[in-house]
Amino acid sequence: MGDTAVFGVSMDSPAANAAFAKQINIKFPLLSDMNRKMLTTYGILKTYDVQGEGYQWALRANIVIDKDGIIRHIEGGDSAVDPNTAASVCLDLHKKQAAK
Amino acid sequence: MKRTLASCLLLASVCAVVPLAAGPQKKDEIAKLSLKIGDPAPDFTLLSDDWKTVKLSDFRGKKNVLLAVYVLAFTGG
Repeated sequence: MGDTAVFGVSMDSPAANAAFAKQINIKFPLLSDMNRKMLTTYGILKTYDVQGEGYQWALRANIVIDKDGIIRHIEGGDSAVDPNTAASVCLDLHKKQAAK
Repeated sequence: MKRTLASCLLLASVCAVVPLAAGPQKKDEIAKLSLKIGDPAPDFTLLSDDWKTVKLSDFRGKKNVLLAVYVLAFTGG
């Protein structure tokens, strides 16, 4: 995807993420937001109802941030299961930046 | 690139099963995305799966960053 660093993010521990990455053969780093600080700041915590109790976990989301630190793409929920939109944003960014 | 995209797809598809694994959901409260396109991305420092710190601002001027946020690890059954 051009000049793009790719990361997975969840509130799991690094140890859990390492085992998860190994299990499903993920080749990019998985980041841990154990205190939910980043997820809260980005507004991507979701309260899930489990047997009448509310649990806060991450909402599925894809976010693209350019080299200037500006958000160029953000989507949350079911549409974020498909990373192709975010990937094309990265490719477009790469093309524009290469043309400069 | 193809491998990375394939990994993204795999991660997304595994995590797509989470709502089923989480059981009945009656009153899910969906977060409102507090950020929008064009906003400065708030900086963060997180631990990677090999226990290295990753700081968003370290990529400033160097690389674009794609964050694929997933619900929980090991939730695909």
